[in-house]
Amino acid sequence: MERLVFDAAAALTILFAGLMVMHPHPVKSVLALVVSFFGLAVCYVMLSAPFIAAIQVIVYAGAILVLFLFVLMLLNVGEETRGRERPIQRWLSAAALLVFAGLLLGLLRAHGASAPLSFGPLSGDVAPLARLLFSRYLLPFEALSVLLLAALVGAFVLAQREKGA
Amino acid sequence: MIGSIPLGDVLLASGALFTIGLAGALLRRSAISIFLSTEVMMNAANLALIGYGSAMGSREGQIIVFFIIAIAAAEASVGLAIFVALFRHKETIDVNKINLLKW
Repeated sequence: MERLVFDAAAALTILFAGLMVMHPHPVKSVLALVVSFFGLAVCYVMLSAPFIAAIQVIVYAGAILVLFLFVLMLLNVGEETRGRERPIQRWLSAAALLVFAGLLLGLLRAHGASAPLSFGPLSGDVAPLARLLFSRYLLPFEALSVLLLAALVGAFVLAQREKGA
Repeated sequence: MIGSIPLGDVLLASGALFTIGLAGALLRRSAISIFLSTEVMMNAANLALIGYGSAMGSREGQIIVFFIIAIAAAEASVGLAIFVALFRHKETIDVNKINLLKW
C-alpha cells in the first residue's frame, strides 16, 4: 500500500517535471513545477520525513517558486523562441543526455536495488530532528542564518538600479 | 514506513528526476528555465538523500536536506536578482543572445 502511494506520487512528480521541461511558456512551466514539488512532498511523507515535506511545500513551492513567478511577471518573459541555436548544440545536448541516462540506469541496475539497507523504520517525530539540529548541527545552523542574511543583502544590492543610470 | 518501499524505487525516481532536470538545463534557452531545471536536479538529490537516510534509520539525511533547502532559497534569491540586473542591461534573458564573452 505504502509502495503504491509512493510510486504514484513519484510518477506524478516525474510527469509534471517532464511537463515543466517541455512547456515553452515559462509561467506555465513554473506552475507545473509547483505540482511536481507537491508530489515530492508526498514522497517525503511516505519516506517518514514529514518535517521535510512541510518545508518542501512552504519554502520550495510557497516561497522559491513564487519568487520565480514574480520575476517572470516583472520581466514579462514570453515564450521561448526556438531554433536560434546551431543544430550541433542540440545534437551534443541529446547525446550527453542519453549517455548520462544510460550510465545512471546501468549504475542503478548494478548497485541500487540490491543495496542492503532496510533497517528499522524511523518515527516521523520532529522533536528528535530538532534536538539534532540544535545540538550537533548548531554551528552550521547559525552559519546558515548568516548566509541567508548575506543573500538578502546581495539580492538587494544586485537588483537595485545603478545610481545615475 | 520505508519498510514496504524498496530503496530501488526511490533511487529510480531520483535518477529519473535528475535526468529530466539535466534535459531541461541542456535543452532550454531561457535563463530562468535553466535555473528551474537546476532546482529539479537539486530536488532529485534531496529525494535520494531522504531515501537513503530513511533506509539507514538515520536522521542525518533529513538534516542535510534541511540545509540544502535553505541554501536553495538563498541561491534562488541571488540568482533571480542577477537575472533582473541582466535584463536591465541586455533587455533579454535568452542565453543565446547573452554573448558578452564571445570573441
